[in-house]
Amino acid sequence: MSDLPAIEALDLRKSFGENRAVQGVSFQVNRGEIFSLLGPNGAGKTTTISMLSCLLRPDDGDARVMGRSIRSDPSGVKSVLGVVPQEIALYEDLSARENLTFWGKMYDLRGSKLKARVDEVLEVIGLRDRANERVGKYSGGMKRRVNIGVALLHKPQVVYMDEPTVGIDPQSRRNILDNVVRLKNEGMTVLYTTHYMEEAQELSDHIGIMDHGKLIACGTNEELVKLVGQQTRIDLTLNAHVESVAAAWREIEGVSHVAAENGVATALVNDSNLALPHLFEAASRLSARITSVNIREPNLEAVFLHLTGRALRD
Amino acid sequence: MLRILDIAFKDLLQLSRDFKVFMFLLIMPILFTFLFGYAFGGFGGESDSRLPVGYLALDDHWVTDKLHRLLANSEVIRLEESVLFSEADLEKLVAEGDLAAAVIVPQGYGKAVVKDKTVRLIVIADTSVQAWTTVKAELLSAASRIDGAARTAEVMENMELEGVPFDYAFDQTLSAWEEPPITIHETSSLALEKANLANRALAHTSPGMMLQFAIAGLLTAAQVIVAERKSRTLQRLLTTNTRRIHVALGHYLAIFLLIFAQFSILITFGQIALGVNYFRLPQATLLAAFCAALCISAMGLLIGVLAKNEEQAIIFSLVPMFVFAGLGGAWVPLEVTGETFRVIGHLSPIAWGMDGFENIVARGLGVESVLIPSAALAGYGALFFALAVWRLNAAEEK
Repeated sequence: MSDLPAIEALDLRKSFGENRAVQGVSFQVNRGEIFSLLGPNGAGKTTTISMLSCLLRPDDGDARVMGRSIRSDPSGVKSVLGVVPQEIALYEDLSARENLTFWGKMYDLRGSKLKARVDEVLEVIGLRDRANERVGKYSGGMKRRVNIGVALLHKPQVVYMDEPTVGIDPQSRRNILDNVVRLKNEGMTVLYTTHYMEEAQELSDHIGIMDHGKLIACGTNEELVKLVGQQTRIDLTLNAHVESVAAAWREIEGVSHVAAENGVATALVNDSNLALPHLFEAASRLSARITSVNIREPNLEAVFLHLTGRALRD
Repeated sequence: MLRILDIAFKDLLQLSRDFKVFMFLLIMPILFTFLFGYAFGGFGGESDSRLPVGYLALDDHWVTDKLHRLLANSEVIRLEESVLFSEADLEKLVAEGDLAAAVIVPQGYGKAVVKDKTVRLIVIADTSVQAWTTVKAELLSAASRIDGAARTAEVMENMELEGVPFDYAFDQTLSAWEEPPITIHETSSLALEKANLANRALAHTSPGMMLQFAIAGLLTAAQVIVAERKSRTLQRLLTTNTRRIHVALGHYLAIFLLIFAQFSILITFGQIALGVNYFRLPQATLLAAFCAALCISAMGLLIGVLAKNEEQAIIFSLVPMFVFAGLGGAWVPLEVTGETFRVIGHLSPIAWGMDGFENIVARGLGVESVLIPSAALAGYGALFFALAVWRLNAAEEK
């Protein structure tokens, strides 16, 4: 039984009218690991998590969470699950303590056990001193921490975190990432969605890359980077003619996968020392002024570019 | 069951922190009850239901004083007197409808009565109005008593053996009318109680404003539901083992408790401070309040489920408040409207609520008179609740 994966998604599909939000997604998350779903906004990450949380019923396919089917045993799935939604899903006119107490009751905690867990969680999220203030008066980062705390009240075996660091200050972000690692160390399985490549790289044992409702790659960070070989990514920010420069780069030898987006031309090159003069020369020839240059060794963003032909932007 | 109570308790905690709740549910209905009650004559001088009759005495005989005393003590007419009144003033006041009639006692009236000479009181009245009949009967009665007493006293004074002084005999005869051998008290219904216009105005205004502002107060409760959905807290609730029906029942219970508490406070206030007799039939009042709260709470749940944002919650609360209150007779009694309007008005649940409460406090009817209005309110409540739950479940599929 303990060898079974914590999460097993089997050909999950979901459409909203004409929009095929998730198209046959399958993956597996081992117990006690952090699995990140990485992809741009609209890739289908939240829809996938909603199906795994039994919020949305899949059109087709199934998933098992700790061996329980989301189709036939949603109640069993919910009992082992803690969900941290993308939004601050809290009651802002209640204090952090009142919120945690209410949510604890929703997770069937009562009496002294509930009180003890609320105190423990307040300690973990570092808000014990301000527990009686209304959540509406908290900063964005503090709200995020309470948002996470709610999902941990009943000590779930699996935690879903849907973009928990969106729109917060670096200090709170650091706190949240540290907590995610702590949860893993405590034996919890974490399914983490993000469109921040750095977070996925730092946290994950395995990463699934999603785009347009499909899981286009899955593996460890190292396995994924290998997909693009040893290519280096070069970003040139230009004042004009980005599309024309990108078109010119495609003709240069040693350059693969060129993209142009938001005034930035991006290229994957085999050897940056050889390619850079040619890239500069093409920009100069087209009268495009270079305002910044960024050279990055192979990473997940390069993988995304390699797989989709588009940059994974924040 | 525990989840439902937990959600209801959480809602009440949230609502208790919103000043708007107290403003709409308690402060506004009390203020408007006073305002409408005053406008409909529920307070002050307007509380005297007797017909106003102008009085001008051009005679200062003691018999005239007796006539004045009789009229002033009348249970039917109320004398309006002023030393500044002239005959022309009285004519004008009657013509403008400010007085039901006016009576002028001509000079020499008293002396003429004593001497058994023909004398007529001068009465100014619009004989086409219904009130004239009442005033006329009362004036004739008073004048006949004065004349009868004078004639009796005259006979007694002229008796050969034991002559009695005229004025003593007059007084004795007149006072004999105060304790007639047969007294008829109207007890066939509570019509006497109904006749009190002050009570009637407040008996209408008090439940009217209570019901109207119960709907207005829904906007705060609906906003809690809307905020829960907008922040996707509802979605989060559904990732626990909480079902949509738990959520709906929890919210419904919270609104019901809030509205029922409002009714309890305002009914007690109406009874103690305004003299509206809600406690005449406490079990009937309780039934009407319970069913009205069932109905209005379900309306609140439906508004919360339908509204997409806080602004819509306000609109969805205030529009039904005005439509249902106006149509349902919360402002103006449906009795004074036409038959068609009365029928249409009963499409509004407020009309049934008004029927229920007014049957107790204004019409003096029994417990059975509250059963149909209560059933109608409960029916509306069931309909609103079913629509809300259906809408809530339909939203899940999107």
